[in-house]
Amino acid sequence: MKTNWLKLALVALFATAAILFTQTSTAQDAPKQKIAVVVSTMNNPWFVVLGETAKTRAIELGYDATIFDSQNDTSKEAAHFENLIAGGYKAVLFNPTDANGSIANVLKAKAAGIPVFCIDREINSTNAATAQMLSDSYSGCVKLGQLFVKSVGKDGEYAELLGLVGDNNTWNRSHGFHSVVDRYPGLKMVAQQSGEFDRAKGLEVMESILQAHPNIKGVFCGNDSMAMGAYQALVTAGKDKDVKVFGFDGADDVVKSIAEGKIVATGMQFPKKMAQQSAEFADEYIKGRRDFAQKIAVPVEVVTKENVGKYGDYGKK
Amino acid sequence: MRAVRWFIVVVILACVCWWFPLFHVVSLKTAMAEKAATTFNATQFAETFWTNQLPSALEKTVTAKMLLPAIQSDAAAAKKKFARSLGLGEGYFYFLRGAGKIISVSDDEIILTVTENSTNAEVSLQTGLIFGNALRDGTGLLNGNDFPNSQDFNDVSAALNHLVETRVLPKLREQAKVGANISFVGCAAVDDESNDLKLLKVIPIQTTTE
Repeated sequence: MKTNWLKLALVALFATAAILFTQTSTAQDAPKQKIAVVVSTMNNPWFVVLGETAKTRAIELGYDATIFDSQNDTSKEAAHFENLIAGGYKAVLFNPTDANGSIANVLKAKAAGIPVFCIDREINSTNAATAQMLSDSYSGCVKLGQLFVKSVGKDGEYAELLGLVGDNNTWNRSHGFHSVVDRYPGLKMVAQQSGEFDRAKGLEVMESILQAHPNIKGVFCGNDSMAMGAYQALVTAGKDKDVKVFGFDGADDVVKSIAEGKIVATGMQFPKKMAQQSAEFADEYIKGRRDFAQKIAVPVEVVTKENVGKYGDYGKK
Repeated sequence: MRAVRWFIVVVILACVCWWFPLFHVVSLKTAMAEKAATTFNATQFAETFWTNQLPSALEKTVTAKMLLPAIQSDAAAAKKKFARSLGLGEGYFYFLRGAGKIISVSDDEIILTVTENSTNAEVSLQTGLIFGNALRDGTGLLNGNDFPNSQDFNDVSAALNHLVETRVLPKLREQAKVGANISFVGCAAVDDESNDLKLLKVIPIQTTTE
């Protein structure tokens, strides 16, 4: 009788150990939930920082994260969304390519029950994305416009390099800048062309502008890549001391150029702050939170030679 | 027989094109009118806001006599109690009213002293070109989430600034004399506390001088 009780106890012990072992190994082997980071282009250091920071923060929060590069092409972006919906991703951290053209992709994800958090660039819809974290480009460029007038003066010719024409940021920046400079009739814009947010294109466009308008006193660029391209064109033409260059983004090379007196100013957009916050929002959504404000403004700060010491590494030191 | 077949085909094609036309011909005037009807009109929006929504909010603002000593004693507590912040930024706005004495007048600003027995410059009413979002964002009455396209929301800001420049500033500039008493309602933006709290720069919405 005593032996029977002993056998039973041993069997129970083995069974319990087996169940515990199975459960532990299942928990260890369970695949992590996946978060997609869809970025408009990885051919621009600023967006690389945005994408990589979002990915890193998602991994820190315990997810598998993958970056999809849309290469500024809405059809590539659409294909990424098809793949990530089929691939079982739980959330999308999204830097859209086109304010209108990207809405359909976000709606597809929404229909599949996947929350989308827009970063930096907006989509023209307030019922598609779960939340949109947007740089206040307009206000930043109002401040840059005021500095432009102070620095270039109230008279003279100037040029503007626009970004992608389908992106709202392009026009928010341009409108913010013009809301100031257009109030000074002596300042004449002699050229306004798209440099597509690209350094090489910015250089090329600036070269042709300089040939047609050699007397410009300043150039306002819709992002820092174009500002670097424009500055390079000015150096080649021997006009880098005569033409004042203004950028926007807060890229590290431009912040360094401001410190060296090559570029006058830029607007610091805090890509790391936006990317980290979007990953945290996605985590909170997956854990049950639903009360997100649709649009969350992230103010832009103007970086000049006077305050450049406070900035670096895509944010405030 | 062949001609009848062709006739039937042409009739069917004509019917299909009638019901499902490949293109519409619209006069340029009609097209422009249709576009204008669907395009957001920031000027009209600002006018409606200025006339219908803003006046009732003017009395609900904090007074400068209460706000300025509160800022001096504890700026963080004053911000918590009276300011309005947006998004993730460090900047914020005050929507305030007050009365004081003009101590200096220049092209771009009118400097006032507002607290009792003070002779210091305490408030600067901005009278030059008006830029930025202090008026749009400072009142707390307008919300960016109501605008699918942020360009429209930004255009509202420019339209409101234009209303200040055309309806408030001309009369204010004309009546402002050193030593005159003035009452005002307006919005102030604080981007950099070390500078902006020393002398609040207020965009005036309503002013009365004596």
